[in-house]
Amino acid sequence: MDRAYILIMGFLSVVIVNNFVFTKFLGTCPYLGVSGRLDTAFGMGLAVTFVTALSGILTWLIDFYVLVPLGLQITRYICYIVVIAGAVQLVEMYVKKFFPPLYKSFGIFLPLISTNCVILGLCLFINIWGTDNLLEVAVLSTGTGFGFAVAICIMAAIRENLIMVDVPESLKGAPITLITAGLLTLAFMGFTGMIK
Amino acid sequence: MFNKVKYFIEQSWLLLVTSFLFGLLIAVADAAWSAKVEQNKAEKLRGLMASLISDANSFEIAIPAAQIPSDKGPVKTDIYKAFDAQGKCIGFAFIVVGTGFADKIELVVAVDARCEKLFGFNVLSSNETPGFGDKMKNASFSSQFKGAPAGKLSLIKIGDSGKIDDEIVAISGATVTSTAVINIFNRSVISVKKQLQEKGLLTNNGG
Amino acid sequence: MADENPVKVNYLDALTAGLWRENPTFRLLIGMCPPLAVTTAVKPALTMGLSVIFVLVCSNIAISLMRKLLKPHLRIIMFTLSIAAFVTICDLYLRAFAPLMSEILGAYVPLIIVNCIIIFRAEACASKNNVWFSILDGIGSGTGFTIALCIIAGIREILASGTFAGIAVMPRGFVPWAAMQMPVGAFVLLGLLLGLSSLLTAKRTN
Repeated sequence: MDRAYILIMGFLSVVIVNNFVFTKFLGTCPYLGVSGRLDTAFGMGLAVTFVTALSGILTWLIDFYVLVPLGLQITRYICYIVVIAGAVQLVEMYVKKFFPPLYKSFGIFLPLISTNCVILGLCLFINIWGTDNLLEVAVLSTGTGFGFAVAICIMAAIRENLIMVDVPESLKGAPITLITAGLLTLAFMGFTGMIK
Repeated sequence: MFNKVKYFIEQSWLLLVTSFLFGLLIAVADAAWSAKVEQNKAEKLRGLMASLISDANSFEIAIPAAQIPSDKGPVKTDIYKAFDAQGKCIGFAFIVVGTGFADKIELVVAVDARCEKLFGFNVLSSNETPGFGDKMKNASFSSQFKGAPAGKLSLIKIGDSGKIDDEIVAISGATVTSTAVINIFNRSVISVKKQLQEKGLLTNNGG
Repeated sequence: MADENPVKVNYLDALTAGLWRENPTFRLLIGMCPPLAVTTAVKPALTMGLSVIFVLVCSNIAISLMRKLLKPHLRIIMFTLSIAAFVTICDLYLRAFAPLMSEILGAYVPLIIVNCIIIFRAEACASKNNVWFSILDGIGSGTGFTIALCIIAGIREILASGTFAGIAVMPRGFVPWAAMQMPVGAFVLLGLLLGLSSLLTAKRTN
């Protein structure tokens, strides 16, 4: 019961309260670039969730069972980024072979994902938080990816409506998106303190 | 089989060679600087402890790897003993960790030699967006801990922050952070006191 | 080298392009995390900028040196490997000689690895040009990025705490804008600055 409580709270915490996009500014590039339409944003969100969960778990396992026992923490960053790049490649090949329609819909985002800061950021933060069991790592990684998906979908839905609004010429595109994102962070700040 | 190996080497020799070179480079950098990194860490901890216990001259570990409770189970940390210039024990200091559900704050807490009054706290590391952790260092907040009783503390929203007692006035606009700090204190200080008593390390100024 | 353009003007161009015409933050909109995350004060922003310049120049040199040997399908992994190696060195250096800054920047130092600017310059410039050209390009883009960081950090620090690089600049009685310290300040300010930059560009082209 206690365990389940920690897991649920951890999940809600990374999705809502400590959303990586709104509190740690990670993944801002795709957040600005791919949030033009709701369906592409959704595809991107799903792809990121999947890769984040996979690489979060893999990097934690490598860190816990290989790097720390061998005292190789110094090569941590290199290992993380190679694992992430590998995971992205793997997912791409797998989806291409077994789910061609799915590949068509979000395959184009996959190569972009390896430079998405959310993923590397999560691997680093898992380490900083000192999470020490696999289940928690899995829940937190999935939650982080999910949080990104939520953020980008909200933004895409807003931007679809922004098209009909008379925005000053110089603010069109990225600037108004950033300002909107700022207001969204304000809204999300209302959640601070509900869960630590 | 041989062809396969040849193909593999042809394709990846550059990767292997550069990995080796970069590995070497990192190893050299690490060998040159890691001692300095460790020294920085030790100096920082010492500096923070000394800033809390103003008369302290030297420190030594009193209880190594003591178990201090946090919201996610006990955390191991060293309890340090502080001595003044005459070699008399004047207080204890220890690191406490506040782990949230996706968060972590490390504070250095100091208490007096009888573990009755607090000397205060300092932030060792806070895993927050740059700029946010500074709120805890807010002087009108942290000074309320200096001299407060080493027992259960409570947080109030409005009050006189100049008065030193077990009621701590929250930082305006940062109630969450203030609550987190109070919780860390409430969880750790009593446990440390008990451990120090069990080991017979507390000075009894009975006479 | 015969295959590259030896015209001298080009070298100057490589150095200055990143400052405004191809400024990573204001014009190309790449590498947007640091301008939002580490700009609450000028000092960390400057440290971040210098670290990025270091990594950018080093990785440009490494990639430019090996550009003729690169296999197409191993290209990206080679880029990432070199960048990660230099970031590790940079992180170690900061931890050894600037512990305070290293602590403030925290996870954002290793996150330089996935900063799009670096991989973009590697792909667009270093893998096609000679070493000298790549170095200049790295310095140019890196400086442009650093200037952008410092502008944002300067405005935020002045408005949020009334100081610039730790020195009080605002008159007494100035009420700090707490919002500037929070994420909302970062997003809105960057949005307005981008708007300003596109306004300036539009004026210039007219």
